[in-house]
Amino acid sequence: MRAALVIAAKDLRQRLRDRTAIVVAVIAPFGLAAIFSMLLGGTDDPISFTYAYADADGSEITAGLREGGLAALEEAGIATVVEADSPDAARDLVDDGEADAALIVPSGFGAALVAGQGADLEIVGSTDAGFATQVLGAVAEGFVAEVEAVRLSVATAAEALAEPPSPERFAELAERAAATSSPIRVEPVAVDVRQMSSTTFYAASMAIFFLFFTAQFGVLSLLAERRVGTLPRLAAAPIPSWSIVLGKAIGSFVLGIVAMAVLVTASSFLLGAEWGNPFGVALLVLGAVLSAMGITALIATLARTEEQAGGWNSIVAVTMGILGGTFFDLGQGPEALAILSRITPHAWFLEGLDILSAPSAGPAELAVPVAFLVGIGLVTGAIGLARARSLVVRR
Amino acid sequence: MATDRATAAPILACSELRKSFGDRVAVDGVSFAIAPSETYGLLGPNGAGKTTTISMICGTLVRDGGTVHVAGQPVDVGAVEAKRHIGYVPQDLAIYPELSARENLRFFGQLYGLGGADLKHRVDEILETIGLTDRADERTDGFSGGMKRRLNIGIGLLNRPRLLVLDEPTVGVDPQSRNAILASVEELGRQGMAILYTTHYMEEAERLCDRVGIIDSGQIKAEGTRRQLVGLIGQKDRVDLTASGELEAAADALRGLDGVDEATPHEGGIGILVTDARSILPRLLEVVSAAGASVNGVEIVEPDLEAVFLHLTGRALRD
Repeated sequence: MRAALVIAAKDLRQRLRDRTAIVVAVIAPFGLAAIFSMLLGGTDDPISFTYAYADADGSEITAGLREGGLAALEEAGIATVVEADSPDAARDLVDDGEADAALIVPSGFGAALVAGQGADLEIVGSTDAGFATQVLGAVAEGFVAEVEAVRLSVATAAEALAEPPSPERFAELAERAAATSSPIRVEPVAVDVRQMSSTTFYAASMAIFFLFFTAQFGVLSLLAERRVGTLPRLAAAPIPSWSIVLGKAIGSFVLGIVAMAVLVTASSFLLGAEWGNPFGVALLVLGAVLSAMGITALIATLARTEEQAGGWNSIVAVTMGILGGTFFDLGQGPEALAILSRITPHAWFLEGLDILSAPSAGPAELAVPVAFLVGIGLVTGAIGLARARSLVVRR
Repeated sequence: MATDRATAAPILACSELRKSFGDRVAVDGVSFAIAPSETYGLLGPNGAGKTTTISMICGTLVRDGGTVHVAGQPVDVGAVEAKRHIGYVPQDLAIYPELSARENLRFFGQLYGLGGADLKHRVDEILETIGLTDRADERTDGFSGGMKRRLNIGIGLLNRPRLLVLDEPTVGVDPQSRNAILASVEELGRQGMAILYTTHYMEEAERLCDRVGIIDSGQIKAEGTRRQLVGLIGQKDRVDLTASGELEAAADALRGLDGVDEATPHEGGIGILVTDARSILPRLLEVVSAAGASVNGVEIVEPDLEAVFLHLTGRALRD
């Protein structure tokens, strides 16, 4: 075991000095994930606007606007409302860029409504924040519609009476109309949604896609040792031949795990990817690294030369990447493709992360994807390692 | 020293080694032994079976038959104990270009079980021996060919081996580095290390080796000291004629002359073994011309291992 660790340490030192390993293992997948996320992912950032609010009327009716629609936006985390002292102050906040839009209630607004006269609400929007202005407009329209509904209710009730109601009675009718709840309600229902964000998807896709290039370093280095002539010297050393193969495997494993850990961490902090439960992610990464090592070892040991092995592994990595859904959503393709994708570790890895994207999901829900990943790794790896040993022991 | 060697248990004893690759027989019943502090040379042309033999001795190639013992321990591909006694210097430059000389030595030292202060001391010692102390921490891909060769040999010495196996260590080396390597091997021999040295350079075998095994077509044709081997063909002189034209016919005609033991045509001339070169030379030239060949040059040499090889195999080492 000591010899295997010595060989693994030597391999890792070589790989670190060979900058291409760092490029393939970390820089390329992270860079592509960032580019794909920017180009194709849209935005996953939560909506957050800042609104200025100035109430020059100060009536009981306009208090409903502040405590109703605007307060609801604040509670939903969609907006922050800054109360301005005057309409001009509200406009200034928008002009200075401190607010995306402003809602201004002019003086006499409430009285005009009660009198059944026209009244205007003023919305001032920043040119850079059209969506924020639209949302604020919708809130204002909702408020106006509600006031209009109350007014119609009172008017209808007054029409039905034999004689005009007294002002006290009129106010009572208005209060009752406003307090009446709508018979139709739309209730948001919290569900355990399983949907990776686009940033997470591209980070995960590129991570496992390039993992297949990273994981092949061990077996390729065995072929390189044969090419440069160091393999006979290793075989002549007083160590078991399996320790040479094990050393190569350990080197690949460490490189794969470190590369994935760096990608998960970097994409979380720099791109905002949300990988999910850390223990679950660790299990999936472990399974993905094992499966990538197994498949690349099997492919590479069928080749005669380092170049041939690298070429074959590239073909397999790209084919499996496409088939496994690392470049597009398999749900958009034919069903047969989705079924076929199950032979690839890529699909199981992404499936596992999709499971983890549900807020309550943890390692326990990952039994199937992890079992497939580890199974693929063990089967192909056992064959690959047996074949790799035949490279060390010449017959 | 000769008496000690004769009575001491051999450091290396290999018997009836056999190896085939498909239908091609690479090694066919090779047997020899090396005594402590003896330098033994395997002399033969490219493809004679030298490297295959060495690979089986070092346990890097599975053999078809035969036995190998080093320091009394059986050697096989999985033999860990016996391999501790072997220092192996492969023909190729078996070093890592991305690592420094010191890192290369440390890595292989660790594989041989060295560690801690012992490893550091031994690495420093080897760097001093091979003259690379000043360049110890530089990557080896910036080294000259000679420096790489020295490091290649230094790695083989790390474990203080009882048997040092050198597989054609001077191939592709400039004359100055070659001479330095030969001097190093001579010094190691003087220090009492048993050495197995393969080469296709006759002069290297003559300079370094206490005994030489002449190998061709996977078989050892003869072995012994230089004097013993030369004795196999008598005290003959060798005449090398640089010639063109009817070389085969000339060689046939030469074989019919009294005093001519062998006449072997080769590309660019004829090699001739004679009892007394100086007295017979005019007659040789006359016969060759009469057979239709033109002589462009003549060289007379004392009997050497090249002549022995020619005698034993019917062809030159360079063929």
